[in-house]
Amino acid sequence: MKTWQRSAFQAIVLAIPALVCFVELQQFWPPTFDRPPLIALDDLLPGSAFTLAGLIAWSNRPSNRVGVLMILIGIGLLLGTSPILLQPSPLAETLTLVLGNWWSFFLVVFGSLWAVALLHLLLAFPSGLLGSRLDRGLVAFLYLAVPVLGLIAVVVTLSRLSGMTGGDVVVRLEFLAYTTGALVYLACLLLGSALIVRRWFVAGSARRRSMAVVIWSLVPIALAFAPAHLARFFAADASSTLWLELAKGSPLFLAVMPAGYLVAMLRSTRDLTSIADLVVKLSNGLLPAELQPALASTLHDPSLEVVYWLPTLGWYADLEGRPVSLPAQDSPRAVSVLGDPADPIAALVYDSSLRDEDRLVDTAAAAVRLALENARLQVQLRAQLDEVRQSRARLVEAADDERRRVERDLHDGAQQQLVTLLLSLQLAKAGALDRSDAQSAQVLDESIESLRQALAELRMLARGIHPTILVEAGLLPAIRSLGERCPMEVEVTGEVGRLEPRLEAALYYVAAEAITNAVKHSQGHRIRVDVGRSSGWASVDITDDGVGGADVSKGSGLVGLSDRVAAVGGRLDVRSNQSAGTNLHAEVPCG
Amino acid sequence: MRVILADDSVLFREGLARVLEAAGFEIAGQAGNVEELDRLLAAENAELVILDIRMPPTQTDEGLVAAKRIRHQRPQVAVLLLSHHVESHHAIDLLSQGTDRVGYLLKDRVSDLHEFVEAVRRVGMGGSAVDPMVVSQLLGRKRARNLVDDLSEREKSVLAKMAEGLSNDAIATALRISPKTLEAHIGAIYSKLGLEPGGSEHRRVLAVLNYLRSA
Repeated sequence: MKTWQRSAFQAIVLAIPALVCFVELQQFWPPTFDRPPLIALDDLLPGSAFTLAGLIAWSNRPSNRVGVLMILIGIGLLLGTSPILLQPSPLAETLTLVLGNWWSFFLVVFGSLWAVALLHLLLAFPSGLLGSRLDRGLVAFLYLAVPVLGLIAVVVTLSRLSGMTGGDVVVRLEFLAYTTGALVYLACLLLGSALIVRRWFVAGSARRRSMAVVIWSLVPIALAFAPAHLARFFAADASSTLWLELAKGSPLFLAVMPAGYLVAMLRSTRDLTSIADLVVKLSNGLLPAELQPALASTLHDPSLEVVYWLPTLGWYADLEGRPVSLPAQDSPRAVSVLGDPADPIAALVYDSSLRDEDRLVDTAAAAVRLALENARLQVQLRAQLDEVRQSRARLVEAADDERRRVERDLHDGAQQQLVTLLLSLQLAKAGALDRSDAQSAQVLDESIESLRQALAELRMLARGIHPTILVEAGLLPAIRSLGERCPMEVEVTGEVGRLEPRLEAALYYVAAEAITNAVKHSQGHRIRVDVGRSSGWASVDITDDGVGGADVSKGSGLVGLSDRVAAVGGRLDVRSNQSAGTNLHAEVPCG
Repeated sequence: MRVILADDSVLFREGLARVLEAAGFEIAGQAGNVEELDRLLAAENAELVILDIRMPPTQTDEGLVAAKRIRHQRPQVAVLLLSHHVESHHAIDLLSQGTDRVGYLLKDRVSDLHEFVEAVRRVGMGGSAVDPMVVSQLLGRKRARNLVDDLSEREKSVLAKMAEGLSNDAIATALRISPKTLEAHIGAIYSKLGLEPGGSEHRRVLAVLNYLRSA
């Protein structure tokens, strides 16, 4: 729609309440004390308020149907007469004078449509779109049913009045038409109310927030209408009661709804002010960790998450660098991707009810864009660090697996075959002795002896590659076993229980390396090994009474050990000074 | 004596069977895994089971688990566990359940057939056999206050044989000393180490091993 067309349309719409007010207020001119013009308010205010609020809404968001619906309701209230209000509007009275029965006909058929539009508005607020199929069905049905039932009512009533033949049937038909109409309206009213209540309960926090003003305005309306109209039935014969006055004044409460809408609009202007606050916070410097809470509070969605796109890794990650997947299209979470969709910077994941306020989300996102880009660098570093950490853990685990495999191959292959060969040689020797072949028996004896030595060496080798006792019995027996083979005195204390194999391996190799180093370099006499487990950490602590001087930086096996412990998320401390020997302390998280 | 052999290597089983048959044992059956072993145990009236510590499916300590179970379920059956390497932890674990009818030896002990067959027979007859390597490792352990060092060489040999599970007669024969002299050595060992004297020849194995391991 072009600008001038829109302006013309707005002028015409605006002319309607102006005209109605003029016509109505003329009756009160000149004003008298008995009939103050104020009592015309209940006729004029609701319709005018809806029309004006609708115009404001429409010019604010032309694509949103809320504005048009409110304009329709407003004009309907001003022009029409309604079974709910049970009184003709002032303009209707005037038009009846001018147009006569044609206007009455028009009013009966179309005069109640504004009520359907009101239900439509309640079900579609604030997006202007009807959500469920049931919502759409009910509204469409009512838009069709109200004029049709009105038409039927007109036809049967006219038939009766014109005294057509078969008067009895016509009277019954008329009764039937009115009763059916009343029942259908009642059912639709109940269903509509239920749908509104359901909408409130399934709505997310942001949508409730925007629905609130309109939904809460229903409360005074319902409170004023219900008793007032009940009173109409029960006090129909009373000439004037308080309830009747209230019933006459009850339409006034309808004006609460457009007023509520204007309040909501003011509040979203205030939301834009909160974006200004956000910008101020940003200029003072926001840490990456503070971005998400700041956005969540600006957009009034505590569940809001910021996820960062990592181009080098090809996935989204949270602030800690952990991979995050975006919610699916039909999930209750909505996503706004920031930056070029082919190469985004980050994405906001929030409650889908915030979709109604897409402008607010976009503005907030634009405000934090630069800060998000900075934060992303940090997230990317974290994610890459995490990747490296994981790949190191995988490498260590792979190496451990390989050690186990080699040890098993040695065991099932060479060791087993050599022992079997040992048996064969024994049998051969027995045969030689039976034949009194002392020379062969002698040769076989020598072979048996060298084979026995080979087996002993192979056993040492296999043990060095991977100590089976570690898998069979755990860390403590494996360290005790180390101590039993050690030429220095080794005292083992503490208790640790069974741990994950990778943790047992990490701590075992620390102990093994520390003991080997102590034997080689410490010139001490005693080694104390203490294992322990407390508050989610398993530890091994090795102390010797030697000369000290061990240094991680001098590139001994200690560096490898430190890496190995770090690979399972643990840490290794080495303390070594000339007087007090060397102490190694390794601890790993064991959950 | 009826013996069941359990080891996943057929060649080793066959070789062992021939060696034992030559030494006068009767082979009641051979098993390649624990299920076969259980079937044989139920079907055959065996007095002794010789089994490998590693068996399918995981090739870790199925044999050890099976040995402990057999000793619990069929206490009348003697169990000799063989392994490519020995650990004092396993030895004490096995003996803690009872020191009679049990043995734990390196597989390479078949390099000395006479000693090996003696150990098998000892276990089958109700005694115990602990691999000399376990004993020598424990005996050689460095200690803060080493009472073992106070023992004479001869006494150390006697202590080692005691820890291996040999009876007094067997020790006397092995070391070529008279039973009287042996009694004197044993008395000296007990007093020097501060061990409670007494206990049967079987029972003392665990006491000595525990002493050597923890002192």
